[in-house]
Amino acid sequence: MAQLYVVQSADFLFLQRQTQMTPGNLSAHLRKLEDAGYVEITKEFIERKPHTALALTKKGRNAFKQYRRDIQQIAERLPE
Amino acid sequence: MTKEPNLKEIEKKAYMSYHQDGLLDIFAGLYILGFGLGSYADIIWESGFGMIMPAILIAVVLPIWIAAKRRITMPRIGFVNFGIRGASKITAFFIGLMVVGLGVFSVFTLATFQSGLRQWLDLIFQNGMLIVGFGSLAVCLLFGYTMGLKRLYAYGLISVIALVIGHFMGIFFAYILLALGIMVMVTGFALLIGFVRKYPLQGVKAIAD
Repeated sequence: MAQLYVVQSADFLFLQRQTQMTPGNLSAHLRKLEDAGYVEITKEFIERKPHTALALTKKGRNAFKQYRRDIQQIAERLPE
Repeated sequence: MTKEPNLKEIEKKAYMSYHQDGLLDIFAGLYILGFGLGSYADIIWESGFGMIMPAILIAVVLPIWIAAKRRITMPRIGFVNFGIRGASKITAFFIGLMVVGLGVFSVFTLATFQSGLRQWLDLIFQNGMLIVGFGSLAVCLLFGYTMGLKRLYAYGLISVIALVIGHFMGIFFAYILLALGIMVMVTGFALLIGFVRKYPLQGVKAIAD
């Protein structure tokens, strides 16, 4: 989600390169995120070739922001 | 333990991976090389070719750069849309390159072809290489910082050193441009070879394809 949060959209190969995950593992993650409504998968044609773009939905962005806030709060509560 | 993701690092890594292919260097080098050849042609044939060279180069180089990005980079590391921020960085780089190029050649062409210059302009032209050198350094530092590409710092430093030496030793401006263009292009090709080796073509298909 962090990878998609910093860009507008990316394709599967780009995410795989960035996360160093196996295709199967990444697919499983993305399917779960799509089912939760956090990731939107758009099929399009670039130079007549089929291309699948992945992007965070508004719900996904909000969920990720909330997650970051939660993590920060937990970290602040931890003793030194 | 869950660690908070460092978004700036992730963004930087994503952005950098897209510009480690050397294509930017190859085409920037080609642009500088074209400049050098244009100014050389001006001296040899007094053609005035150098005047229109920057516009020709931009018109030729930019579409080839975009096509090369699509054919070499995207099949290897995938497609990413950085949104407005990323696009503005690239646009800023090329506008900067164009402005510097046009500026350099305007000054150079004026210095070459106009003899009745005002005195203050004479001073600028007499020190044209120093001005261009330090101007290049400033631009490279600016774009290097903005785009996060540290090699631009090196290009800026080498440019200023070469132009200062050229100024004091009386080396022809075009020769320095040719040398700088070749250096940037060679660096670009070295980066491209490394990039192609690091990211070989693979048959990964996009999800749900």
